[in-house]
Amino acid sequence: MAKKGDFAVVGHDQPRLDGAHKLTGRSLFTDDVVLPGMLHAKVVRSPHAHARILHIDISAALALPGVKAVVTHADAPNLYVGIEQPLFRHEIVNYIGDEVAAVAALDEATAAAAAALIKVDYEPLPALYSIEEALEPDALLIHAKARGNIAWQLAQDLGDVEQGFATSARVRTDHYTTNASHNCYAEFHVAIADWSLPDKLSMYTPTQTAILFQKSLASALRLSDGQVRIMNLNTGGGFTGRTSVRPHHFIAAVLSRKTGRPVKLRATADEEFIACRAGGEVKYTFRTGVSETGRIKAFEADITFDTGAYVESQMIVLTLTSSYIHSLYKIEAARYLGRLVHTNNIPYYFHHGGGLAQMAFGLGQHMDALARELGMDPIDFHLLNGVTKGHTSMTGTFFGSCGLAECITKTAKQAGWKRKYGKLPPLKGIGIGVGAMASGAKGVFKHDTSAAFIKIVDDGSMSLFVGLPDMGQSSHTAMAMIAAEVLGARPTDITVISGDTDIVPLDVGALIQRGTFNTGNAVKAAALDARKQLEVLAAARLGVKPAQLVFRDRQVYPKGQPDKAIPLKKIVYDTLHSREGRFVMGRGFYNSPKESGTMAYSFGAQIAEVSIDPDTGFVTVERIVASHDVGRAINPRIVEGQIDGQVFSGMSQVLYEQTLLENGQVMNPSRLDYRLPRSYEMPEVEHIIVESIDPFGPFGAKEVGEGPIVCTLPAVANAVANALGEPVNEMPITPWKILQILGRRAKTGA
Amino acid sequence: MQLPPFEYHRPASLDEALATLDRIGNDAAVLGGGTDLLINLKLRLERPAALLSVRELPELAGVSVDAAGTLRIGAGERLTDLATHPLILARHPGLAQAIRAVGSQHVRNMATLGGNLCLPTRCWYTNQSENWRGSQIPCWKTEGQVCHVIKTAPNCRAIHSADSVPALITLDARVLLRSSRGERELRLADFYRDDGIENNALLPGELITAVLIPPGRARSVFVKAAARTGLDYGYATLAGALTGSNRAPKSLLLVAGSVGTVPLLLHKPAQIILAQGLTEASIEAAADAAREDLGEVTNLFTPPGYKKRLVRGLVRRVLNDLRRQKLPDAD
Repeated sequence: MAKKGDFAVVGHDQPRLDGAHKLTGRSLFTDDVVLPGMLHAKVVRSPHAHARILHIDISAALALPGVKAVVTHADAPNLYVGIEQPLFRHEIVNYIGDEVAAVAALDEATAAAAAALIKVDYEPLPALYSIEEALEPDALLIHAKARGNIAWQLAQDLGDVEQGFATSARVRTDHYTTNASHNCYAEFHVAIADWSLPDKLSMYTPTQTAILFQKSLASALRLSDGQVRIMNLNTGGGFTGRTSVRPHHFIAAVLSRKTGRPVKLRATADEEFIACRAGGEVKYTFRTGVSETGRIKAFEADITFDTGAYVESQMIVLTLTSSYIHSLYKIEAARYLGRLVHTNNIPYYFHHGGGLAQMAFGLGQHMDALARELGMDPIDFHLLNGVTKGHTSMTGTFFGSCGLAECITKTAKQAGWKRKYGKLPPLKGIGIGVGAMASGAKGVFKHDTSAAFIKIVDDGSMSLFVGLPDMGQSSHTAMAMIAAEVLGARPTDITVISGDTDIVPLDVGALIQRGTFNTGNAVKAAALDARKQLEVLAAARLGVKPAQLVFRDRQVYPKGQPDKAIPLKKIVYDTLHSREGRFVMGRGFYNSPKESGTMAYSFGAQIAEVSIDPDTGFVTVERIVASHDVGRAINPRIVEGQIDGQVFSGMSQVLYEQTLLENGQVMNPSRLDYRLPRSYEMPEVEHIIVESIDPFGPFGAKEVGEGPIVCTLPAVANAVANALGEPVNEMPITPWKILQILGRRAKTGA
Repeated sequence: MQLPPFEYHRPASLDEALATLDRIGNDAAVLGGGTDLLINLKLRLERPAALLSVRELPELAGVSVDAAGTLRIGAGERLTDLATHPLILARHPGLAQAIRAVGSQHVRNMATLGGNLCLPTRCWYTNQSENWRGSQIPCWKTEGQVCHVIKTAPNCRAIHSADSVPALITLDARVLLRSSRGERELRLADFYRDDGIENNALLPGELITAVLIPPGRARSVFVKAAARTGLDYGYATLAGALTGSNRAPKSLLLVAGSVGTVPLLLHKPAQIILAQGLTEASIEAAADAAREDLGEVTNLFTPPGYKKRLVRGLVRRVLNDLRRQKLPDAD
């Protein structure tokens, strides 16, 4: 097995290739794009949570100088942007923010003025604002097809669940709630559509997956895939939220078609919170049966999502969420129950962590409580039940690598767990969270393919073409590093070309943490293909077999004989400037050989230490020790950065973030009142990178895109419970809940 | 969101400013640093025809001590400069803490003291975009007849959250008001009115030119409980100023901010400390007594009950900090 010293690039800290661009404000984002003749759009939204539209009058808006088009349902009667969600409503509006009409004008101010001139008469209807109200037996129906307001449900038994519970020595049930929340993307939602010619729709927009955007737009707008061109420049944050097209993409396209000019539509600060989907309220019930020794015998998850006015692809996430436990613990019997419930709240999708992080807030506390009930140290409980290398889950997942136990023991040692757990002064607490995360999965398509190609110019510089977007996670730097390692180049020799479906090869995208694993494997294959072409000349010059060649540090030499090295760029130059005249282009793709599911899982453990201020109820996260089994760290510096980002978001979700709703209206739709913490609130993070060297990942790498965050939420929540002497089962854990509990405990003398 | 159109006036002197104010009257808004006003304009909460910039007026500048020992702070002084001003740091550490608590460094680089004193009250039913407010029945502040926070309230109950104010009131500060009709002085404690709209005693055509802090050596402290460090409105703030010794305090003022429509003087805790001195036991008793001064506390921005519990904790913290603080040096 290869050691770090064997690599010239992989495993070494590499500053991100676009770092200088980002730091100096030179990176381009969609909103920086200005096209000739471009119009600006505004959306007219429902001010009611539930109402009947009586009349829409667009005449005054159309008469305003500078207005080029107004579109309503009549302009796109058959265009659906989601299940039971036509692009514009013309009969019933279902939430505050529902799209009713849109305007395109010469500038944004005129578009806003025109939108305000569109007069819509409504007859308000009774509305449903909570899961409880929506599930009342006589509740009104928001969508006729969703009986009982249940948009979708899940009921699945794996193994003999009843037998498992019946033979358990102890069964524990806990209930948890996570409140509505938002991702607070660094880049607001925006699209520029140019459909001025009927046979080509070009769109600039941030995305995690250009191919899904291309296919969704093409299918809904009756174009072929090739007639839709998606250009994503930089993407300012993904968080699962940019995995599917939203109404603003379609509205920009429809307005562009109607006006024959490019149209930009961007969300305002409050539209970000109102109309750009994020997480809704979720209620969880977990029931676990264990043996005398603490081994899990049966597990049941019952999860209810507020899906809001419309449903998106939450069914996928409900499935993933309920079955998550398989990838973390050895389980022989499990029951998964769940439902998506419609309300007249904003339509939801998922907050950072794809639903799994929020679920881990409850699941991690439930397992911690179970361990305490058993009189077990939670660390022993996780070690006893955690999956191990070579394990095959009851759904058929094979764990080719697993550093879970190593993560837990190393983290515990560094955090001083044994010295501290149960021994801290009042209002100080320590808690552990463990997690697992998939690196890519089939399910979106029959394939889970990423492709790459690479061209090498005769000065030795290279261009790497990938369809994988970089939304801040530094994926492009990692891809350049993989190609550089194979070709003996330096990462800075490589320009990564991405973000244009007319140019780059196919890639399912930056979702399900598949980038490093899938696209990384594709890039490695493309680089190997290019290297093979260079090996012909190099082997002949050096008089050795191609297999004996080493490509390293911009040199090519026979193994063990670096003194015989020929510069790489000379090999490239001579390969082109030859009788054959070969221009080196490498091609590669990767598709998981499995029928379905995931090739590899990452694992992690985090230990949080917190203190509680009894005067204010504020919780301070003082320290986080975070370990993560990434398979192999392609770029350790970025691995640490990814861990830091997720620690921040995880802590923030547990202690700060909540979309506050009153009668379906978001009360805090701004960065000021939606209290995302600032860097001051960031705790000290100590990183432990565990490398289990996955047999299938590129150079053994897995993922670090979402694995850490599923550990942070339970670690912080368990530390708070430890400090407080009792758990808080609702997220976020706010200062007022803490003071309430402290007040009650002072009264009862507990 | 974009700014609405407005006329812009930048007078060169105070007299010119007052004359301009008289001329354009109620249609003018006075612009200090603009850190709050410009946001409210974008939200269309205010629709002045003209903005009158007073930040550069020489008469509104300067920090000085007169022969009697009164500290004069010009209303046009930037908060950044005041937070680090040697005179303020030396004499009134609580005021320096309070000024540092306003907004972020960027905000304080622009914001003026006069602007902070005149900060409009805030409420999440009104401080939203025009579109957002379209979902709500208009309230007192948006030309309606109801308060969404306290349904039975006869007037606007939005929250007063200017952080410098509680600290200044504990120092018995006065404000100097000028109009073309002349000059008057008001105790800052009397400057505010228990109404979220007509929140202060400024008359048409009148400007705050300076804040005056009387001489005297007091220990002073300001604490702010906010979710985030910097750039946040407080859930509650508390300022305290104490003269005399721990054993025999002579005077104590405790003023809570961000809990209601005006800064709130806490009498009961102060009485307890004045009677018993500053001890561990008296501080606990004073903290428990704070509740009696609070009355009906709004649940705007925080759930019911939290502000009461929080003020109790802040009283404890401020008194403990005062107890430990050394008396500032003599002038």
